[in-house]
Amino acid sequence: MLDTKADPMYKFMDEERSNPAPSSASDVRPAGKPLISMENIWKTYQMGVEQLHALRDVSFKVEKGEYLAIIGPSGSGKSTLMNLIGCLDSPSKGDYWINGNLVSEMTDDELARIRNKEIGFVFQTFNLLARATALHNVELPLIYAGMRAGERHDKAQAALASVELGDRVGHKPNELSGGQRQRVAIARALVNHPSILLADEPTGALDTKTSHEIMELFEKLHEEGNTIILVTHEHDIAERAHRVITIRDGRIESDKKTK
Amino acid sequence: MNNLEALKLAIAAILAHKLRSFLTLLGMIIGVTAFMVVLSVLVGFSAYVDEKIAGVGSNSFTIRRFNFEDFKDTDTIAEAQRRNKELTFDELEFIKERAQYIGDIGAKALPNSREIKRGGETLRDIRIEGVEPVVAIIDKYDIAEGRFFTDTENNNSMRVAYVGSDIAKKLFPQGGALGGEITISGIPYKIVGIQVEKGTIFGQPQDSFVQFPIKTYGANFGGLRGSRGLYFVASAKDDKQFAEAVAEARQLMRVKRRLEFSEKDNFGILTPDAISGFKDSVFGSIGTVILIVPTIALVVGAIVVMNIMLVAVTERTKEIGIRKSMGARQTDILRQFLFEAGVLAGLGGVVGLILAFLIGFIITIYIIPTRIYLSAGILAIVVAGGIGVLAGLYPAWKAARLDPIEALRAE
Ligand SMILES: Nc1ncnc2c1ncn2[C@@H]1O[C@H](COP(=O)(O)OP(=O)(O)O)[C@@H](O)[C@H]1O
Ligand SMILES: [Mg+2]
Repeated sequence: MLDTKADPMYKFMDEERSNPAPSSASDVRPAGKPLISMENIWKTYQMGVEQLHALRDVSFKVEKGEYLAIIGPSGSGKSTLMNLIGCLDSPSKGDYWINGNLVSEMTDDELARIRNKEIGFVFQTFNLLARATALHNVELPLIYAGMRAGERHDKAQAALASVELGDRVGHKPNELSGGQRQRVAIARALVNHPSILLADEPTGALDTKTSHEIMELFEKLHEEGNTIILVTHEHDIAERAHRVITIRDGRIESDKKTK
Repeated sequence: MNNLEALKLAIAAILAHKLRSFLTLLGMIIGVTAFMVVLSVLVGFSAYVDEKIAGVGSNSFTIRRFNFEDFKDTDTIAEAQRRNKELTFDELEFIKERAQYIGDIGAKALPNSREIKRGGETLRDIRIEGVEPVVAIIDKYDIAEGRFFTDTENNNSMRVAYVGSDIAKKLFPQGGALGGEITISGIPYKIVGIQVEKGTIFGQPQDSFVQFPIKTYGANFGGLRGSRGLYFVASAKDDKQFAEAVAEARQLMRVKRRLEFSEKDNFGILTPDAISGFKDSVFGSIGTVILIVPTIALVVGAIVVMNIMLVAVTERTKEIGIRKSMGARQTDILRQFLFEAGVLAGLGGVVGLILAFLIGFIITIYIIPTRIYLSAGILAIVVAGGIGVLAGLYPAWKAARLDPIEALRAE
């Protein structure tokens, strides 16, 4: 026991554990810049004369290595929030910092680079290129990263193998089951070693058994050191995460560490 | 993403959307084919007139009774009929004796048409003409078999003939035309030479003629006057002094005919330049008018490319969204669509060119000679590709600027 105390890694974990559970995520401020920092984010849609606030004054931070679940009823603004985190959309108001950089000040090319290198996005509806093979789909981020064909091919192959689809590389999406498609999408999200893996209801279109397999895959990825933000409206899925943010009507209702 | 990568994507997309690609290609192909076919006919025709009719490069010119301008209207024709005397052998001798710049000069008599027989075979309406032996040298005859006439044959009005390949083939299907005998109005002639096959111009066979020594022609067909009137063919001693030779011929004719300084020529001189100049003036205006139609076809082709690329962008909004969410920059999307449009249109250009070439080949065989210059072909492909890129520019720009989240929402 004394030996483990001396190990710096365990020391770090001990410190984490000894921290009292924060009442709000914004209170968490370990050394260095947080991976993600959202400050007073609003997203407003103009619907004719009416304004629809999909997000209202949302603030929170995410550190490297976290496994965060965002839970809330349908229409509460979860996807809107995820799209903002993934730099696919921009907020109406508020500041979003990624790795200490203000997203609103980035050029289009910089945003493309963030989407390519920092973020791996897994969509509820997979969003695979229908006419391309699994391999080509996984290669996509590497193509835009400027990687050469040979290396790209090897990496995509390896990523597909890591989600146990090494024998399906030549299949097109319509030749794969739902669970397999989602695993292709996960391989695609991971292939470029992003800082954060974002998954918006990744099991929403899958049956229970397949959902469990996908969730186990996420757990494995977290254990390997990946930062994961997962959106769901199912409590048993949220329970697997280490921190849960509950969102309702565009507002953060609670933000709790659960493990 | 580099250009090679963009090209691969473009080709993959073209193959993935076969029907759409085919329609785009069709638009381009029709445009390019129409344009190139018309152009090849115009160029071919023009080159043909230069080479064969005007004889550009042959460096011979003719001295005739009438001039181009004499045929302007009925008044000028009537005046020329009265003033312009027929050419004579006297005048030919006069020029020959005094020529400094003129090399060879010889007389021809205007052609008639007659019925030609050999055994049981008869050919109607065959062009016959009389020619001095030296004309074969001046006009650089291509003799396939045998030889041309000798001066002795001419001076003695011997019954010998030089025929086109068609005559030889039709009257001597089993061969043996050379040395064979043909009959016109009951008089037999011996074939001493056969011309190399020339094909047709404007559907007119060039190989269906019979030539005789000019004196034989005059003796047997009714004198070298009127419809068998004389004209002279001449060449320059030195091709570099062609203009001087022409001027000399004119001057000697004026002297011989005792024309006053103020009088205009009462004969005509036709040079290759004059004919091709006349052709260019007619052609320039006709050519531009004719080219308008296929140009419209080409523009329509470009519009088809643009429309189909716009459809492609709309249809593939989701794909664009996916690519953008995976880190594609605006330039990557722009390039992808531009390459797609460019490759499609360029391919259309190549196929259109090949089609135009084949059609031109058929036209050459059956109607008139066509010609496609390599440079025009390359230009057609480049222009087609360029039009494609231009037409693809707006749709590609639209695609590149799409908001990733908006694009992803599309179905
Ligand atoms: N593009 C849009 N235009 C207008 N309203 C939108 C748009 N996207 C989302 N919304 C609205 O914002 C709210 C939040 O949506 P969303 O983030 O998709 O919820 P969730 O993912 O939690 O189900 C909903 O009321 C939805 O109708
Ligand atoms: Mg949602």
